[in-house]
Amino acid sequence: MTTFQIIGKPITRVEGTHKVTGESVYAADIQLPGMLHCKLLRSPQAHARIVRIDASKALALPGVERVVTADDLPKPDAKRMGNRGSILLAIEETVFYGEPIAAVLARDLSTAEEAVDLIEVEYEPLPAVLDPIEAMRGDAPLARKPVQEIDRSEARGHTSVEMQEQGSGQPSNIASQAKFSRGDVEQGFAEADTIIERTWRSAMMHQGYIEPHATVADYNAASGELTVWTATQGQFFVRDQISLTLKIPETKIRVIGLELGGGFGGKISLMQPLVCALSRLVGKPVKYIFTRHDDLVGATPSPQCVVELKTGMQQDGSLTAIKAKVVYDSGAFPGAPAVVGGILIGGYYNFPNLEIEAYEVLTNKVSVGAIRAPGAHNVTFAIESHMDMMARALGLDPLEARAKNAVGKGDEMPSKMTYPSIGLKECLAAVGESELWQSRGKAAKESNGRKRGIGMAAGGWLGGLQPASAYVELNGDGTITVVVGANDITGTNTSFAQIASEELGVPLDRINVVTGDTKTAPFAGMSAGSKTLFTVGRAVKQAAEDARQQLFSIAAERLEANPDDMESTGGEIRVKGSPDKSIPFKRLAGITTGFGALYPPVIGRGAISARNQAPGFTAQACEVEVDTDTGDVTVLRWFSAQDAGLAINPLSVAGQIQGGTTQGIGIALWEEMLYDDTGRLLNPGFLDYRMPTAADVPPIETKIVEVPSDDGPYGARGVGEPSIIPAAAAVANAIEDAIGVRVTEAPITPERILRALGKI
Amino acid sequence: MQQKLAINYTVNGQPYEAYIEPNRTLLEVVRDELRLTGAKEGCGTGDCGACSMIVNGKLVTSCLMLAPQADGAEITTIEGLAQDGQLHALQRAFIDTGGVQCGFCIPGMILAGKALLDRNPSPTEHEIREAIAGNLCRCTGYAKIVEAIAAAGRASQHEGALP
Repeated sequence: MTTFQIIGKPITRVEGTHKVTGESVYAADIQLPGMLHCKLLRSPQAHARIVRIDASKALALPGVERVVTADDLPKPDAKRMGNRGSILLAIEETVFYGEPIAAVLARDLSTAEEAVDLIEVEYEPLPAVLDPIEAMRGDAPLARKPVQEIDRSEARGHTSVEMQEQGSGQPSNIASQAKFSRGDVEQGFAEADTIIERTWRSAMMHQGYIEPHATVADYNAASGELTVWTATQGQFFVRDQISLTLKIPETKIRVIGLELGGGFGGKISLMQPLVCALSRLVGKPVKYIFTRHDDLVGATPSPQCVVELKTGMQQDGSLTAIKAKVVYDSGAFPGAPAVVGGILIGGYYNFPNLEIEAYEVLTNKVSVGAIRAPGAHNVTFAIESHMDMMARALGLDPLEARAKNAVGKGDEMPSKMTYPSIGLKECLAAVGESELWQSRGKAAKESNGRKRGIGMAAGGWLGGLQPASAYVELNGDGTITVVVGANDITGTNTSFAQIASEELGVPLDRINVVTGDTKTAPFAGMSAGSKTLFTVGRAVKQAAEDARQQLFSIAAERLEANPDDMESTGGEIRVKGSPDKSIPFKRLAGITTGFGALYPPVIGRGAISARNQAPGFTAQACEVEVDTDTGDVTVLRWFSAQDAGLAINPLSVAGQIQGGTTQGIGIALWEEMLYDDTGRLLNPGFLDYRMPTAADVPPIETKIVEVPSDDGPYGARGVGEPSIIPAAAAVANAIEDAIGVRVTEAPITPERILRALGKI
Repeated sequence: MQQKLAINYTVNGQPYEAYIEPNRTLLEVVRDELRLTGAKEGCGTGDCGACSMIVNGKLVTSCLMLAPQADGAEITTIEGLAQDGQLHALQRAFIDTGGVQCGFCIPGMILAGKALLDRNPSPTEHEIREAIAGNLCRCTGYAKIVEAIAAAGRASQHEGALP
């Protein structure tokens, strides 16, 4: 086993001081001279034709500079009309409550707010379809004009699965579908000793980042250059979207991805092209910050999902068959993860027979986007509940039943791809060894009249792939600068510093990692799909190795030695085994950057393509307490094991696991975007959209499992996403352990528990 | 246009005068006029705590306080915690425990921790969780934030009163 100096050590955030002092700059902190403030008029209708927009009263308000509608904006290509990103403001019809209809630009925010209310719009209501199952029926009204071409470029950033997806032939609300099959499911069910068949529902929920969407754009008419300060997980993707929409070459666009106040898949590209278009229209800087209301009604939340699932198991715990129909409610534009959902529901365990169909269905609700492991928590709620129910029906241990069937390296996914090295079995074993799981059957089952139970569930995420690049430079004083283009959302810059430190043998405090903007930084894909460290980390490692090789060549010449005999350690390059024959980085800097230097500057280059995923698995256990009079659930303890491949920074990895698990608990118990029967969001604020607070959740015990990935730096694999996935199933399984009833709808609210108990 | 008012604050020990419309919030004035942008707006309705400030010794959600209501007040924002280039014990502890991720909630979270430790220097875990229950964090799951506040409490007990 390799011994590392700094890889694998818990390292505090390189940008920590800026964040605890309030100095970090987020997009909303940007103030420019002469800047106008933007507010959007949002649709009060789920589906309607826009007959007339009268902005005269708004324009008459002192301080209002301009009111903009779709007529003032670049027309999207006809074939891109089905994409949310192409419709900057509604064109002729509005297809969801909260859709932007018109933009007001004013010299201050309160004037803009006042003016929005003065815009008069005449709508002609059209039939709206809100439920995805109803929307699939042949006689359902169409949520929107038929989709002609679906732009999947953003979704690809999250997971690289693109198989067997079919567009729909006839006009219908089914935007796409995927089918997977293996063996003969009817034969499989005939061989089963128990069959469970249920329908599972999980709610539309929001990423819930605390920083609302924010963008400031400044178009310079004279130079044709555009500068954009924005909150994004993917600044290059934003640049590309702006270029595509506004027909501005990428050389003229500088996107500065500032410190990001949380993204979780929800902050890729949304309002940036619109804000840029507005700035170009008026020739002044424009600032648009979402209110929380804007963010809840009009961003890109996580889809509602309905899963019809049938599974069979034999008395010895062998699985026989799975039949699944997975329906994601995509809202008014395509964007739901049908393919990946179809793969994951049949991809955790080796089912000899399977038949899975997955659908992405359009309705008149806000269109969805990615969330941490998009689509995974929905299908995992179903399959991981079934695993428990089948084991229970057969009197088997639920953990052992999972371990017996769990996928490993070489096993086939429903898509017929095979798994590389993965750590599902190891995560299950970690749960088995945990104090929490070991206390099953020993802990009290009742306390003060409240019933207690323990449950577990597993889950996994295939992971994203995108090419990446990085530079590593030697500065004049012998310190090191690492330049990347990936927006740091999870502590990746800290891990990049560790990688450069390890490869160059330079102390961490002499390394600075810089995230450049799109005009200065080497390309990186979006920070999504648990892939930043997995891809950009490889590029940084390669760049550091390249820089080291350059240093070895120079040092070898100075020391009259062979470059192959060099080593880099303690901030100097030396001949192996001869500590007296060495040359410090500071000296090397002098002879590569000083006046009259003999050697060229040292600049290492790393550029990688990423072709092989490194799926990340987790297994979690929890103990809950249920009040059978009120239906209230308290989470008492939680244990999360996750395979990190190799934890480059265990402090960051544990933080990711705890954060993702807590979001999962929110999905399990509280978080649900509620729509009325006209398609209006009923809970557009943090008071009614209930996310977990510190008082709601227990301390989360973490266990980092390390099954090295094939391609990741030092064997690391994606970490960000898996932890959110299994909570709803783990809680549902613990609840059945506590009170003997099964809840099939998440979030598992008190009302749903009381219904399951037959009390209401 | 509304008639503007002159208001005076002492912010982080420094006197400030601002000339503002009376319907503006304390958060807006501190961010936009005083240009102290450490306090954040996450919701505008007092539900998330990202805008927390300490006003006359009490933790407030500054997005809900009208600026004139705080006329004459002593206000502490995140920018006022570090002294002479030295981080406050809470700031140090938030970094050391890994309590900082995206950082957006952190100014408010640290001030909520300060308001707690100022009145209760050795809180229990339950007391810490209750004290920050009005401050939402979406990244950390709170575990390391709770550890940080407990650690800062211990450090200040050891070293004497908090600055």
